[in-house]
Amino acid sequence: MKIEILFPEVCNLYGDLQNIEYLKRSLKGADIIETSLKEEPYFATHDDFALCYMGTMTEKSQELVLEALKPYKGRLEALINDGKLFLITGNALEIFGEYIECDNGSKIPCLGIFKTHAVRRMLSRYNSLYVGKFIDEERQADIDIVGFKSQFTHSYGEFDGLFHTVRGDGLSPLTKEEGIRKNNFFGTYIIGPLLILNPLFTKYLMNLMGSSEKTVAYEEAAMDVFTHRLEEFMQPTRGLTY
Amino acid sequence: MGKLRFLFALNMAKLTWVILKITRHNGTNYPGQVAINLCPDFLERIGKPEHIISVTGTNGKTTVNNMICDMFEASGKKILSNRAGSNTRTGITTALILGSTFTGKAKFDTAVFETDERSTLRIFPYVKPEYVLITNLFRDSIMRNGHPEFIGSILTDNIPKTSKLILNGDDLISCGISPENARVYYGINKLDTDIKECINLINDIRICPRCAGKLEYDYLRYHHIGRCHCVDCGFKSPDYDYAATEINRDNNTVTITDKNGTGVYEFVNDSIFNIYNMVAIAALFREMGYSHEDIVEYMKHSKVVESRYKLVTVNSVSIITQLAKEKNALAISRAFDYVRGLPGRKSILLMMNCLYDEAHWSENTCWMYDCDFEFLNDENVNEIVVSGPRARDYRLRLLYAGVPDSKIKIEMSELDGARNIDFKKNDLVCVFHGVDSFDITQDVRKILIERAKKLED
Repeated sequence: MKIEILFPEVCNLYGDLQNIEYLKRSLKGADIIETSLKEEPYFATHDDFALCYMGTMTEKSQELVLEALKPYKGRLEALINDGKLFLITGNALEIFGEYIECDNGSKIPCLGIFKTHAVRRMLSRYNSLYVGKFIDEERQADIDIVGFKSQFTHSYGEFDGLFHTVRGDGLSPLTKEEGIRKNNFFGTYIIGPLLILNPLFTKYLMNLMGSSEKTVAYEEAAMDVFTHRLEEFMQPTRGLTY
Repeated sequence: MGKLRFLFALNMAKLTWVILKITRHNGTNYPGQVAINLCPDFLERIGKPEHIISVTGTNGKTTVNNMICDMFEASGKKILSNRAGSNTRTGITTALILGSTFTGKAKFDTAVFETDERSTLRIFPYVKPEYVLITNLFRDSIMRNGHPEFIGSILTDNIPKTSKLILNGDDLISCGISPENARVYYGINKLDTDIKECINLINDIRICPRCAGKLEYDYLRYHHIGRCHCVDCGFKSPDYDYAATEINRDNNTVTITDKNGTGVYEFVNDSIFNIYNMVAIAALFREMGYSHEDIVEYMKHSKVVESRYKLVTVNSVSIITQLAKEKNALAISRAFDYVRGLPGRKSILLMMNCLYDEAHWSENTCWMYDCDFEFLNDENVNEIVVSGPRARDYRLRLLYAGVPDSKIKIEMSELDGARNIDFKKNDLVCVFHGVDSFDITQDVRKILIERAKKLED
């Protein structure tokens, strides 16, 4: 089972890469392919990957990543339309939108695969706890999601959300729809060890990847943490945005 | 009118300070806050010392700042500093208020200010340092600082063009700050313990800052600290102006060399992090014209503050309380690495919960997956007690690091952690605590000392 990590040398903030390490430990025989900025992505010429992952990065790195992915825009669109699985976390999802508006009003053109745009305010960092639900009616999935957001941006536009927000904000404070979903393209602003903190969602993903594994690594401890965090984040008096 | 408002604000702030002292409050921000509230351009108007040294960076700035102050004191020079207070705009404003006359004239000719790197954008437009010493730039609080590239850009945008930079030549992120400013680099020559590939989870310089090509490390110490070159364009780390050329662990000395001389300095603390601090300080004093002989002498009077690291040995049990700044993956990794290098059987108490966050929201625990908990997966570690609000998260992270569940004990209360941690004679007990838990740490230490006293052979 092949998992491609795009540009781990720069897309590695906030512990994001541990999502894939966690999958590797939960799946038997996962083959991790790390693609660097100056290499051709595995997805460019192969269809046999179970998951393509890209994590959070710095603002300068966003521009390097855009340069690296631009030649593959058409291929990415085709793969997304074909239902290939992508997990994109943090500000990596902005790469797939139309543009990023900077503090000075300038716009960085992005891949334009989705009709979204990000507005960046470097001196106005947004931090939040997050509680949401992942619903997949076809697969009868209704999974609670907990996580953290910490970002300089919000995204706006037309999109289908990945998670339905229960507490916190969606892709921007104007919406309760969190992240971007199209077929099996899963993009979210939630940063860090999303899969480790959400073992039920991880099982869903593993199933989607074609795995027959029934448990995740460190399941008892991960479920203990998940259960308590969900309970904690749902406390009405618990502050969410800071 | 502006002058009158300034004088009113200044003297109200001074009065506030007196009231705080009488009522036994600390409040090192408050007088500065009062002054700025009453006179928004207060920081611009207040008199400043002629020579200002700013110490900033992610880790080590408090230690370096305090050591510099100790050394000036040892030299007989009276200086103004914010060592007893905050390193933000209001803290530095408070220091300037206390160091001024009733008409706002500076009473000192030299100031040493520890400066929060993110606050420089509101300080440096008005407080212009002659020297800016940057210890390093690493990932820090995810919520506040984002990532070091962001902090680096704040520094570059706000450090005055006239400031001379004292930079860590082994830290390529710092090296890129304010490229047009005059600068000197300090560093530590290759060590036997150096490596070529990063073993830490965090390495924020993996590509060439010039061409985005692959960086190859000539030697690497931890994280991105070391010397490297780009395999594509030839870019390389800068040469040192001030180098630790020999570290002698038998004599506890470090030899620091520059183009005009050499000094042999006694360790203030033997961690590599503190040796970097020593070289940085020696570079600063050399730039100010001091001789190695004088600096060596002054440095003997400086020390790492006890609240950050304290070792007591009771009945042959060594008890260490080590600051592991909450939510700072790198600082905690360094603290773990230091303790794992100490010999003997160890028991560890983890209690670096961010209690401030817990009181308001909930701690963002993403840092744990940037932090090298793997260093605690060591055969010399007998037991790890995880405590406080994030005890369950610590347990999961330790399991992820490969620590057997049988070695992990959950105690929700830190004090119960101290009461129940397993140790015996000749063991080392290490308590990792955060800034928020300084007070609890005192109680934890007392419990451990009492328990150690009662141990029998």
